[in-house]
Amino acid sequence: MTDEKEPYAGEFMDAPRMAPEAIAARKRRNVWLGLALFGFVVLVAVTTVIRLSNTDLSEGAGFYYSNSDDRAPVGEAPALPPGMTEEQAAPPAGLEPGEAPE
Amino acid sequence: MTDAPATPAKRYATASDYVNLMKPRIMMLVVFTAAAGLVAAASVTQTPINPLMGAIALLAVALGSGAAGAINMWFDSDIDAIMTRTSTRPIPSGAVPREEALAMGLIMSGVSVMLMWLASNWLAAALLAFSIFYYGVIYTMWLKRSTPQNIVIGGGAGAFPPVIGWAAVTGNTPLDAWILFAIIFFWTPPHFWALSLLAHGEYEKAGVPMLPVTHGAKATRLQMLLYTIVLVPLALTPVVTGLGGWIYAVTAGVLGAVFMTYAVRVFLSKAGDADCTAAEKKLARSMFLFSILYLFIVFAALIIEHATGLYFAVKGF
Repeated sequence: MTDEKEPYAGEFMDAPRMAPEAIAARKRRNVWLGLALFGFVVLVAVTTVIRLSNTDLSEGAGFYYSNSDDRAPVGEAPALPPGMTEEQAAPPAGLEPGEAPE
Repeated sequence: MTDAPATPAKRYATASDYVNLMKPRIMMLVVFTAAAGLVAAASVTQTPINPLMGAIALLAVALGSGAAGAINMWFDSDIDAIMTRTSTRPIPSGAVPREEALAMGLIMSGVSVMLMWLASNWLAAALLAFSIFYYGVIYTMWLKRSTPQNIVIGGGAGAFPPVIGWAAVTGNTPLDAWILFAIIFFWTPPHFWALSLLAHGEYEKAGVPMLPVTHGAKATRLQMLLYTIVLVPLALTPVVTGLGGWIYAVTAGVLGAVFMTYAVRVFLSKAGDADCTAAEKKLARSMFLFSILYLFIVFAALIIEHATGLYFAVKGF
C-alpha cells in the first residue's frame, strides 16, 4: 500500500452519459431535422427553376419573377431623355430598319 | 416507512410534440382561409398563378402560422402549466425545452417569409412577417396579459391569411381582400369568448384578463351578441362587391342566421355564470364548435365558386 496520490485525481469529472431513450430521441430529432432541411432545399430549388422558366433573361428585362407584368412590352420605344423632342429622336427620312446611315 | 412520492418519468420529445408546438388546428384554419384568398384573387383578377408556386405560398403560410404558435407556446409556458386545458402542451409537460421552442419559432419564421418571397412577391412576404410579429409579439407578449380586449385586437393576426393569399397572386390588397380580413376579425370575439365562458376559472387562476374574468359572463354574452350582429351582414358584403355569387350568398345567409340564433340564445342564457346549468354550458360549447364550422363553410363556398367555375353573380348589385 502506498500513499502515492493518483495523478489528476478529482481534476476531471466523468462525462455525462445519456440514457438510451435520450439518445434514441435525439436520433429521431436529427432525422426529422435532416428531412426538413432537405425539403427546404428542394422547395428553394423548385421555386428557382419556376422563376427562371418564367423570366425573360434578355438584357434590360430584369430577373425577378412577377405575377403582374408591368414592364414595357417588347418593342415599345423607351422614354425620351428630358429636353429631346420626337422629331429629334426620329430616324433620318428614308432610312429602313436595319440599314446603317451613310 | 412511507413511500417516496412518485416522480414523473422523464419525457422525450416525439415528432408529434413538435407538431403540437405549431398549433396544427389553428394552422388548418389559417391555411384554408389563405387558400380562399388565393383562389378568389386568381379568379376575380384573372391573374394566373403557377399551381406549384401557389402550393408553396400556402406551405409558407402554414409554416408562418406554426412559427407564431411555437413563439406563443414559448412565451406562455408559465400560464400553460397552470391551466388544465393547456398543461399537457409540449413545454409544460417537459417534452420540449422552452429555448428549443423559441429557436424553432424563430427559424421557421425566417424560412416561411423567405419561401413566401420566393414563391410570390415581397408584399405577401411582408404581410406574412407582420402577421407572425402581430401574433407572437403584439398579441402574445403584450395584449394577452394586459387587456380584456386581447382577443379582439389580437384577432387581427388570425385575419391576415386571406389578405396574404390575395397578395401572393396579385401583388396588391384591394377592398375584397380586406373584407375577408374583416369577416375573420369580427368572427374571432364571439368564437373565442364562447370558449372562455366555459374556461374563465382557468384564465382567472392563470391571471389572464379575459373578458369573462374582468367584466363577468353577462357583459361577455352581450359583447358576443354585438359582434355577431356586425359579423352576419358583413359576411354578406362580398355579394355586393361581386366577390361572392349565389352559392356564397345562400351559404353565408343561412349560416349567419344560425350563428345569430346561437348568439341570441347564449345571450339569454346564464352560460358562464356560477349558477349556469349543464345545458347552458353545452350551448356555449355548441356555439364555439359551430363558429369553427361557420368560418370553414363560408370560406369553402368562396373556394368552390372560384375554383370550379360555379360562380353566378347575384344580379342587382
